[in-house]
Amino acid sequence: MSIIRYEQIQGKSLGFYALVAGLGAFILAALGGVYFMEHNGHWVTGMNNRIVWGLPHVFALFLIVAASGALNIASIASVFGKKIYKPLSRLSGLVALALLAGGLMILVLDLGRPDRLIVAMTEYNFKSVFAWNIILYNGFFVIVAVYLWMMFERRLNKFSAKVGLIAFIWRLALTTGTGSIFGLLVARHTYDAMIMAPKFVVMSFSFGLAFFILVLMSSYQWSNRPLGDVIVNRLRNLLGVFVAATMYFVMVFHIGNIYLAENNTVAMLLFDIDSIYTKLFWYGQIILGGLIPMALIYHPMFKGNRSAIGLASLLVLVGGIIQMYVLIVGGQAYPMELFPGKEVLEGYGTIVIYTPTLPELMLGLGGVAVAIIAITYLVKFLPFLPESLADEVADPHHQK
Amino acid sequence: MQRLLIVFLSLMLGSAFAHTDHHGLNLGKKATELKDSGKKAHKRPNMSHTASLILQRKMHPDLLVHKRDKTLRQGVRGGSVQLKKCVECHASVDEHDEYIPINAPDQFCSTCHQKVGVSLDCFSCHRTTPAEEI
Amino acid sequence: MKKLNRREFIKGSATSTIGVATIASGISLTTFAAQPKETNPVTNEKRWGMLIDTNQLTEENIDDMVDACQQEQGWGGEEHSTGHQQAGWIKKLKVRDTTTGRISNLALMCQHCEEPPCVDVCPTNASMKREDGIVLVDKHLCIGCRYCMMACPYDARSFVHEDLTNQKEHMPRGKGTVESCTMCVHKVDKGEQPACVASVDSDAVIFGDLYDSSSKINQTLKKIQSTQIRADLNLNTAVRYSGV
Repeated sequence: MSIIRYEQIQGKSLGFYALVAGLGAFILAALGGVYFMEHNGHWVTGMNNRIVWGLPHVFALFLIVAASGALNIASIASVFGKKIYKPLSRLSGLVALALLAGGLMILVLDLGRPDRLIVAMTEYNFKSVFAWNIILYNGFFVIVAVYLWMMFERRLNKFSAKVGLIAFIWRLALTTGTGSIFGLLVARHTYDAMIMAPKFVVMSFSFGLAFFILVLMSSYQWSNRPLGDVIVNRLRNLLGVFVAATMYFVMVFHIGNIYLAENNTVAMLLFDIDSIYTKLFWYGQIILGGLIPMALIYHPMFKGNRSAIGLASLLVLVGGIIQMYVLIVGGQAYPMELFPGKEVLEGYGTIVIYTPTLPELMLGLGGVAVAIIAITYLVKFLPFLPESLADEVADPHHQK
Repeated sequence: MQRLLIVFLSLMLGSAFAHTDHHGLNLGKKATELKDSGKKAHKRPNMSHTASLILQRKMHPDLLVHKRDKTLRQGVRGGSVQLKKCVECHASVDEHDEYIPINAPDQFCSTCHQKVGVSLDCFSCHRTTPAEEI
Repeated sequence: MKKLNRREFIKGSATSTIGVATIASGISLTTFAAQPKETNPVTNEKRWGMLIDTNQLTEENIDDMVDACQQEQGWGGEEHSTGHQQAGWIKKLKVRDTTTGRISNLALMCQHCEEPPCVDVCPTNASMKREDGIVLVDKHLCIGCRYCMMACPYDARSFVHEDLTNQKEHMPRGKGTVESCTMCVHKVDKGEQPACVASVDSDAVIFGDLYDSSSKINQTLKKIQSTQIRADLNLNTAVRYSGV
């Protein structure tokens, strides 16, 4: 059996520096946006007292959910013993950490008082799902870092399976916690359902894997390293399953809402054709982020087509951001049912329009840029990537 | 250990003296009037007035934080430690006899806070001038 | 300028050390001076509440209540905030029964729940409930995450979207923190009525101690039929309504 050799990328090409410069520009724009928002106050954003969480939170939660999903590749290798994923474990851990860092950056910089972050670290309310999440996020950093260490250090390799198991359990807890931020909001019919937690877990599988595939394919392409079809096809099939599973959970969630008359505002989200959220749901989340990627993955016409896989992954990510938008912003836009059996004529109860502003968008994109730049730099300085993932290296028993 | 203690104490001493140098400190309208009339503000029993002032200077954050939690969370009102009373005495007036925000540059609070480089967060929410007489 | 002599300095710093120790151990500082006395902490023997009778409450009454609240607490004059960004501690609502068409007008503000969702979700303990049932935001701890606004079933909280000046002395408000109705806690602690209650001269709004069987609010609630908004959530609100 061949031994996997990991090697840093050179990182001296013009392309590398162009990538870093481009990402750097996004990060600078994000910081500029943050300064603008924090200096003036949130009135310069589209957010208000009804849409309290806007575009920054869409990106932040998307990245956090994707982060835990990106760790799956490593888990499949170490927890479920699938050897073929083993060479990808290091990269999987790295992508997970980078995505989480990007997501948390957005979340923190959108706070009303980011200067008081220390308060969030010293004052804990253990009843708060948010406080649980702070612990889960910090713990994820530590555990994944240790996990990576076990994988890098040859004499500690024997512990990597055990630490991998802990990391796997922790990441499930993390996504459950993130889903519970919404699932436990009893006041709002648009959220209040614990199916949110497993739904977030499945979403994380799909978003994290899509991001991972894009990172893997582009880094092997740009560093001219061989990447065989065996691995790519495995990942492609896995992505198809995860996308389908995500759509299943969305369907179950909405069937529940349609059936319960008390949740008619939630069902409105699906059938109110004039509403932007309805359009985003059908065209963005379902068609763009679900059906088209499925077609690209499973249709025989695209068999073995790398561009189709790349496009499918990209669409899963775009669809995922739209899904988060519908979930977070759409969920707040509809009024809460204060008086069952009565309609509120004045004072409350309209559907709120939210128009995101440029600084919010830049902050969100800046978080994505932080994640990518972290990956770009770390694969240059540490051996995360196997020098070859050609079929005979990845799977010696593979029959041509 | 003793040496460390000496070093520590002399550092404390230095900082204390640094703070006594309030030459040209803008005490504020009412506080200046009080001082000129010979009243001993912040005087504590069994302690000289100067020592009381040092204590007040060194401990004002602790006193305020302690009281703020009691007031907000337990509804304890009144007493000697109240931020609005700080503002009442230590705010200055401009040439039109109007109050200047106490956190403005070179006003009572900001003078020291600038000097020691400690941010002043009270007045991102609290009123910076005495309330008008009703 | 007076020079400090060594003896006095030592005395001063020793006392200040004692002072720190005293604060740390939580014992009050009243030993220092014969200053105005502090009041006692509030207890859970009382629970402040409000009863709003929508049959008696006119639309003008509600406008007066909103005005009184703005006057007292100083909100509503935000320069830059537009639309839903503006503060709204108390709102005027017009509600119609979809079957009978009956219309009721009411004032909606923080309901001061016994089990407040905002307090449960706050990561830093900034959302808090006093012993006497009044729910407040500790703006010293608020980091502006707005999770409490997501959790509140009554849309009762506002986020300060801009820099503010000239706040009321008793009501600190600042950019980046969350705020809501305080049940005029500064007045209640002095034995007065909340501003909105005082602005209505009829019995349409009654304020008092829900636990005190001799109080008007307790006696009225015993006699008449009243409801809590979103009673299904079992939050046991301190603001009750009749005639809705």
